Amino acid sequence: MLLCGAMTASLLAGCGSSTGSTGTSASSSSASASTSASAVESTSAADTGSDSTEAVTSTSTEAVSSTSGSTDNVVVKAVENKDQFKGEELSILVSAGWMDNRYDATIQRFEDTYGVTVDVQTIPADQYSDILQSDLANGTCPDIFWIQSNPVGAIESNIGNPEEYCIDFTGADWQNVMPESRQASCISNGKLYGLQIWHNSPEYVMVYNKSLFKELGITDVPTTYDALKEDLKKIKDSGVETPWFMPGADGWQEQLAFFQIGGVYTEDNPNLYDDLNNNKATFADNKKMLEVLNEFKELSDDGYFGEDWVGTDSTNLENEFADRTTAMAMANSSFIKQIQDDTGTKDEFGMFLIPLGDNTWYPTNPAGPTMFGYKGTEHEDLVKAFFQFVCTPESLQEILDNSPQYTNLDVNVDIEQHWLPEEKEFMATVDKSKMGVPVLQTGTKYTNDYWMDFGSDMISFCQGDISANDVLKNMDANRAEDAKAAGDSAWS
Amino acid sequence: MSPEGFAGLPQAALFIETKHLSDRSGGRITWLADPNILYKTYSDYKIEEATMNKNKIYPRWFVILPLIIYLVFFLFPSALGVFYSFTDWSRMTSKNGLHFVGLQNYIDLFTSNKNYMAGFWNTIKFTLISNIVKIIPAFFLAILLNSRLKGKKFYRTVFYLPSILPFVIIGIVFSSIFSYNTGLMNKTLSAIGLGFLKQRWLSDPNMVWKSIFSVDAWRGIGYIMTIFLAGLNTIDDSLYEAAEIDGAGFWKKLQYVTLPMMRGPIMINLVFGITYGLKVFDIIYVLTNGGPGHKTEVITTYVFQLYGTGQYGLSTALNTILLAITAVIGVIIVKVMSRKGELA
Repeated sequence: MLLCGAMTASLLAGCGSSTGSTGTSASSSSASASTSASAVESTSAADTGSDSTEAVTSTSTEAVSSTSGSTDNVVVKAVENKDQFKGEELSILVSAGWMDNRYDATIQRFEDTYGVTVDVQTIPADQYSDILQSDLANGTCPDIFWIQSNPVGAIESNIGNPEEYCIDFTGADWQNVMPESRQASCISNGKLYGLQIWHNSPEYVMVYNKSLFKELGITDVPTTYDALKEDLKKIKDSGVETPWFMPGADGWQEQLAFFQIGGVYTEDNPNLYDDLNNNKATFADNKKMLEVLNEFKELSDDGYFGEDWVGTDSTNLENEFADRTTAMAMANSSFIKQIQDDTGTKDEFGMFLIPLGDNTWYPTNPAGPTMFGYKGTEHEDLVKAFFQFVCTPESLQEILDNSPQYTNLDVNVDIEQHWLPEEKEFMATVDKSKMGVPVLQTGTKYTNDYWMDFGSDMISFCQGDISANDVLKNMDANRAEDAKAAGDSAWS
Repeated sequence: MSPEGFAGLPQAALFIETKHLSDRSGGRITWLADPNILYKTYSDYKIEEATMNKNKIYPRWFVILPLIIYLVFFLFPSALGVFYSFTDWSRMTSKNGLHFVGLQNYIDLFTSNKNYMAGFWNTIKFTLISNIVKIIPAFFLAILLNSRLKGKKFYRTVFYLPSILPFVIIGIVFSSIFSYNTGLMNKTLSAIGLGFLKQRWLSDPNMVWKSIFSVDAWRGIGYIMTIFLAGLNTIDDSLYEAAEIDGAGFWKKLQYVTLPMMRGPIMINLVFGITYGLKVFDIIYVLTNGGPGHKTEVITTYVFQLYGTGQYGLSTALNTILLAITAVIGVIIVKVMSRKGELA
């Protein structure tokens, strides 16, 4: 009996604990960069943006206009009947980093206004996807839940059948609070399900210590791989332990070097994304992708990521910058302020594009954490009231003001943005015609779900266990599995 | 056992056998008895034991409640899991419906680009090595702490403490200790002039398993030791005294007294250790999450990943394989133990 129990328990432990997996990704914390041009637009009155004819470019242009405040200023009002929800409880399921303290004040006002209580269940990022899947499958999902959405099928990929699980908000007042590029991440089969309030700063570009570069005589930021290698050598020779900080132990960072430069892969084949989305192309054997992976490994082999980048996490990144034990890392623009505020360093910082594969493309990313209403909720009206409340100008301003790590919100509402001088300077250097292609994980279907797997494969490749093409083949196989499960006709 | 079976046994072994019977039959026999007399007493004892068992009859309905709990919470979900392993259950099921796919999930597992077989072998490897590095030291530690050592209660507590710590805490602490640049381990080595021994404890493919086994042993030895201590406490001192009279030293006493008397605790620790090893997840997940790369993936980390990407059918298929392996090994252990009477 003991053994039977042990054996059965082991099975159940497996079942029970098998909630999980790959969750976090760059895009789980990444935002729309598609609209980054707006930073320039609204702050330096530079060129109005791209004249590209690609669909994604129009997204970018719309976003520019939306955040410049030159077009619609959408004003949403909160639900007026304040007593109708008294005593009700609203539950929210969210991954760590998506709401944090930013929504605290707004939630408090919501509770005070309507006499309700809001229970926010914040789940560690690496467990979130599993818990959400489990809650949806079991019918135990909180009233509101979040997913990392994008315009290429993330809703279906994350939720399965949105019609079964999500409240249909079509026609809601707040729809146009979001730029159209973001609305695409919230709509499935023509129905509005989600609300994406996110920032549009330059995301996961190279943040570097400008003062250190100057002292070492590096006057121009690298724009090619060879120039990068030359600069890294110079930095390493000067005694900097980790010229490029690569926190491999985080599990989700090293992939950024490959995926954030999506545009560069389309130079040989402008239809690459379409081909990948229609199963007419593969990651495997793609020359540019192989080139980028091999460059990454070369930098790893040469020790430019430090002695133990695979075992290093990003916990200490600010101090590494402040202590000058690192010179650059892939990070968000807001990270500069964080380094300066938290460490008190007097060094100046700047940004440049990730130059692997001689990339000059901007990491446009109209994706981000997105809020959905659970269809099985007993408080549907309260959920709707919450979405509306969040979209009022007062709430949006409050959310931005309580987000020290973000400098703006990508919304069609006149609120006071807090753009950084470094952001303005960086955006002025970006070729506007190179903003039209989204990052690879957002522009191609079934890719982002295997973010963590890809990262593990990159490490296996760097440690010599598999080849660069194996890394790409694995991604193809994973995407095919996902497509098959989704019943995608292109893969059948 | 026949009368001849009692002849020719070393005195200590004979003593154990007779002492055992003596205890169970009210002390009617004495040790060093003539084998023929001993056999007669042994037969009497067996008859007596059968009578006693006959009198120990409880109402059968006593078993109903635990049986229901067992069926509802153990067997039914397990059977359901096996059923789902033959379907295309995924996060898209609500849209596309659930379909029976036969053995396709199992075929996919063995032909997939992901190296699930490596996960299987890693699981076996973990099970074998983790038991060796825990059970043997725990056994000797228990012997040491069962001796007349000063402060042994304190040491017992100290060694047991790690086993009550949650894996998450252990993971965070040891990830920090093993950090290459800032970790306590490498800092200490450098500080005492052994900087050349610095290692990438959790990211070097050649070192990562050793680190995992070390942490697992650090956590698990105390618990195993406690089971051994309980067993050691049941061994009568007079057995050792008798062995000493016969001139037995430490190793002889270990061989002829301790080990035979500790068969039960050893088997219990083996059973726990094997089931723990086969379903290992926490320690791997918190320390390496299967990395570096896929170096420390085990079956359960793959199950976890598959479930997380919504491939529930595939995930349950892998889990079913784990169940089958555990069941086969479990049955073998039960058979062996039943034969030896350890489960009586």
